[in-house]
Amino acid sequence: MSDNVGVSKRVDPIQLEVLKNAFETIADEMAVIILRTSHSSIVRDSMDFSTALCDHNGQTLAQGLTNPGHLGSFYDAMRRLITQYGDNVQDGDLFIANDPYEANGMHLPDIYIIKPIFSDQIVAGWAVTLAHQCDVGGLVPGSNSLGSTEIYQEGLRLPFVKVFSAGQRIDSVWDIIKLNVRLPDKLIGDLDAQIAACSAGERGLKELIERYSLSVLFEYGKELHDYTEQLTRAEFEKIPDGTYSFSDHLDGLGADPEAIDIKVAITFSGNEVYIDWTGTSEQVKGGINATLPFTKAACFAALRSIMEVDVPTSYGFERAVKVFAPEGTLVNPSPPSACGSRAITGYRCIDCLFGALAQVVPERVTADSTGGSTLPTLAGWHDGKPFIYAETFMGVWGAAQNHDGQDGVPHMGANQSNTPIEMIEAEYPLRVERYGLVPDTGGAGKFRGGNSILREFRALVDETLLVVRSDKRTYPPHGLYGGSTGAPSWNIINQGDGDESILPATMTEPVYLQANDRFCHIMAGGGGYGSPLDRDPIDVLDDFLEGRITIGHALQIYGVVIDESTKPMIDQSATAEQRQRMRCG
Amino acid sequence: MSFRVAADIGGTFTDVAVADSEGKLHTFKLKSTPHDYSEAVFDGIQAAAGLAGVEISSFDQILHTCTVATNAILENKGARTALVTTKGFRDVLELRRIRVPRLYEPLYIKPRPLVPRRYRYEIPERIDAAGNVITPIDENAIADLIDKLQVESFEAIAICFINAYVNADNEQLIGRRIQDSFPECFVTLSSDVLPQIREYERTSSTVINGYVGPPVRRYLGSLKDKLEAAGVQSQIMVMRSGGGLCDLEAAMNGPAHIVECGPAAGVIGAARHGARCGLDRLLTLDMGGTTAKASIVEFGEVQRAEDFEVGGGISLSGPLVMGGGYALKIPVVDVAEVGAGGGSIVHLDAGGLIRVGPESAGATPGPICYGNGGDKVTVTDANVVLGYLNPTAMASGRVRINGALSRSQISEQIANPLNQSDLASAYGIHVVANALMMRAIKTVSTYRGRDPRDFSLLAFGGCGGVHAVGLAQALGMREVVIPPAAGIFSALGLLLADIEIEHSSAFLARTHDIKLATLTQAIRRLEEKVLVELHRDRSHISFERYLDMRFVGQAYELSVPLPDHEINQADIDGLSNAFVASHVSTYGHAGEGKNAVQAVTLRVKGIALLPELEEFKQKQLTLVRNSDPQFSQRDRAVYFGPVLGEVKTPIIDRSDLDIRSRTGPFVIEESECTSLVPPDCSAALDEYGNIRIEVKAS
Repeated sequence: MSDNVGVSKRVDPIQLEVLKNAFETIADEMAVIILRTSHSSIVRDSMDFSTALCDHNGQTLAQGLTNPGHLGSFYDAMRRLITQYGDNVQDGDLFIANDPYEANGMHLPDIYIIKPIFSDQIVAGWAVTLAHQCDVGGLVPGSNSLGSTEIYQEGLRLPFVKVFSAGQRIDSVWDIIKLNVRLPDKLIGDLDAQIAACSAGERGLKELIERYSLSVLFEYGKELHDYTEQLTRAEFEKIPDGTYSFSDHLDGLGADPEAIDIKVAITFSGNEVYIDWTGTSEQVKGGINATLPFTKAACFAALRSIMEVDVPTSYGFERAVKVFAPEGTLVNPSPPSACGSRAITGYRCIDCLFGALAQVVPERVTADSTGGSTLPTLAGWHDGKPFIYAETFMGVWGAAQNHDGQDGVPHMGANQSNTPIEMIEAEYPLRVERYGLVPDTGGAGKFRGGNSILREFRALVDETLLVVRSDKRTYPPHGLYGGSTGAPSWNIINQGDGDESILPATMTEPVYLQANDRFCHIMAGGGGYGSPLDRDPIDVLDDFLEGRITIGHALQIYGVVIDESTKPMIDQSATAEQRQRMRCG
Repeated sequence: MSFRVAADIGGTFTDVAVADSEGKLHTFKLKSTPHDYSEAVFDGIQAAAGLAGVEISSFDQILHTCTVATNAILENKGARTALVTTKGFRDVLELRRIRVPRLYEPLYIKPRPLVPRRYRYEIPERIDAAGNVITPIDENAIADLIDKLQVESFEAIAICFINAYVNADNEQLIGRRIQDSFPECFVTLSSDVLPQIREYERTSSTVINGYVGPPVRRYLGSLKDKLEAAGVQSQIMVMRSGGGLCDLEAAMNGPAHIVECGPAAGVIGAARHGARCGLDRLLTLDMGGTTAKASIVEFGEVQRAEDFEVGGGISLSGPLVMGGGYALKIPVVDVAEVGAGGGSIVHLDAGGLIRVGPESAGATPGPICYGNGGDKVTVTDANVVLGYLNPTAMASGRVRINGALSRSQISEQIANPLNQSDLASAYGIHVVANALMMRAIKTVSTYRGRDPRDFSLLAFGGCGGVHAVGLAQALGMREVVIPPAAGIFSALGLLLADIEIEHSSAFLARTHDIKLATLTQAIRRLEEKVLVELHRDRSHISFERYLDMRFVGQAYELSVPLPDHEINQADIDGLSNAFVASHVSTYGHAGEGKNAVQAVTLRVKGIALLPELEEFKQKQLTLVRNSDPQFSQRDRAVYFGPVLGEVKTPIIDRSDLDIRSRTGPFVIEESECTSLVPPDCSAALDEYGNIRIEVKAS
């Protein structure tokens, strides 16, 4: 243990651990309420929401175990709220906001519901929730229009306003909200869940105040931030000083995409980290600009992922990290840039950061992952009612220094679930034809990247609108240290009789499916790690037996000759020869 | 006079309890025999029979919990299993629900599927969400499948088709054909195991049923043979994870149901014992060697878990950290588990904070104080140093304790780096373990909208009595109850459990669209299924019916009981309101309450009415004490935190207490359990033999 790490002598380390647990329990309890009672599948199944208990300054004491993509983004919004309202905050107030520019929000579908927690007329803390709503109006159902050029097209913009004031419901605000969204019942259902979560947070903190007193909580809250900061800095200290850079690209927008540059330089210097996004493309005319709070969240998520110890999710973590993103760029757009579909950029930022980190801590990261997430929206009318199916498809990881890439895992930036096929079929006029892994698609290597995941839908009604946001077709997931790239992603539709066509990776214009038309998305495969010729032939044989690679792939990419004449086995001498040839060739 | 015997297998010990019809209880604890668990069970039953002075052949019933199913999964030693799926969905089992239990861990490795990809077979068939057959099964495809299965000689074959929860025809057809071709094989259908929506959870549950089927059958068969060879003809009943007993045949047909039977037995014990003693609101703490388990009991009713995974390690926040184990969505008593048992290992993190678990020193080497070569500080070591546990011997002197070893290692590993005294450090460990257990208790209480302060804490398991008061204080709870036989409480739970069978079926309809005839018919069908497995006629069964409902659009249901009488239209009309009320009490809100309510699953539980069991439940239990070797002290120094410091504390026996309240401090030492009453608290013995500790706010 280095000397500068540790809990300050002023406080009792045991009580600090107890209170840290108590804060985390409150944040988790808030999350459970949203999970169990929300109404839209993007919240309940994808778990695209976050909860936090913040101190009186709006700094996070604990975050619920849900979505890493929201990590560290709350403070920007809380600072804005506190500055804007100053003393004009009362017990029983409830705030709402979503605007990336006026409320330091994420993108319009992510709605904040925030409740101040009072103790004797003093703000003791804040219960904060953020949830991705299934629709907030705008150009397209789901409010993820890729073709938007300005935020005005993306839906209802809310600065910080009160939806309850001193316990009184502000009906006019609710009326405006209901009128501006496509599925008001679902939205209100989800906002109710957020409000209930805030009340649970309030109850939890008040119980702690009753037991420990406000002054003790303030003292220990401050200490928790310091402790977290110390722990974080000690981790950074262990990493060799230097600047590590990486460039990556988003495939681009529409039918004729132009690559969008993402460039990062991470500097480790003593116990601090400086992340610079200079060199990244200018903001684009499309809904994929990532606002600064989201870019910062991506930085925090990537750095947390290389920590060797458990660091609390408190605000102190952020103090050891400085992020610079030039204004007017893809990663810090100026208003009124559109940003409805910005997640894809944030995830690519994390991937890009991992690319840089692989140079200094190759044992702690994997080769590149599926990316995405792919977000298809299928919408239309059924039985006289509108429907919107949207789901974030998560995929597979690249290989690591000592093991194969994992199949069927979320992106590091968003721990989300899939929607059960049977739930989709019970709820929407859609049928899922296939859902599974595609052989030969994982990047080859000593350790293999995860295989692509394929999902195919059949429309059951005419005029089903389809838009897809996806990535990593032109720039598929990179390998590391001699590992190959993973297979690219694809969007394919079959209309009428076998008339197959390829759709853009990121569609700025919708297409319409008729009943029995099919849409198939294949996600990118993960990158490989190390040379495929160093892969243990037994693992290659095992992949073949498992149907993860074909016999030809084993031969051509891994140089392993499998004799299939009786029980499949490795032809050792033929393999040695083949690998020798490939090494020389 | 009739006798029943209960045997509860744990990781370290097998607990046996014999009860006669008058409520007299003999207990016996012995080391488990992992090479063949039935050995210790058989020996234990014989020993306990000896204590009770009866022949083992005179037991009317042998009640049992075992870890065979859990261990098969944890140790990857289940049957050689195949999975047959709808074409296009071979990977559902492997892709799971995508979420992982750990955030920010790029090097996380998923649990391996219980059936490798090469043994997952697809067959062209399809049923749509309404139950219509879109693609019928083709004879050639069946022949082809059977050929492929033939080559591999599987012990178990699980079958799960998309949408089989609405229409099981295709599964049943394939199931029959496979069973005909492989009569020895354990064939299991998803529509039997879990006829409910969500393909991953149903596939996984069915695969688990297949995977543990053959080992469970072998184990139970071998136990039965051993007993029969010794002339025992008694009926063997096995506990299920849902808290009811079933006969051997049902246990062998639905082996996935016994995966969590051990923890369930403890909670059932709490529920039944609590009901008898008039303890209406209980939070239970079952603290053993490896983990601490919390559960909630209200008015004698246990809670069911909505999501359960087996082999997921220890789950801190339940639904938020799913994905680490194998989903098993069958009725399970809701138990939140944390890695804070007596054997949990303690270390300092990089920031200098004390961390407890989840790693455990296990049975070997065990805590440092056992002197079996353990060199990692455990919670038990801290408790010994604090004087909470006897520093020379435990378990009636059968386990020797070396308190000096614990103290020197706590000093070296914890106190010196923290620059604190040994006692302060040991106390810190104790308190941090309590903080972890607090999360488990909150998971089953505050997460469900229950305030722990309205509850009593019922503590059992080897270590429960030592931590209970501190935990109660931290949660603002006012009473701790240490039941009789706390150290072998799960075995007592078996003796108090009902014989019950539950079946469910998909019942998808908005509440206002439910037709009386359809619901009545569906209930009837499930009741018939239940009757078959209970081997009893209708007049000896009490039925409970539940409808799992949610607001349209929600993904999680709440189970709402239906009235006892024949369902009528008024009952159906009242469903929405009953659901809204349940939603409010569980989550603290129901929105504006205007959203439509949808039924999803119908459940019917049949409980066998056994007059002799009902009578036993009312009986006063008398624990017959075996003559304990005298190893105990009269008093010792016990550390009660920085304010009070070390206090000379009497060591007493449960029988030293009576209905008059006695003020702490004192330690109650019993052969299988130790309980601590700090200076500011007091305790009395109630008429049911419970130690009732009045907890003063700290």
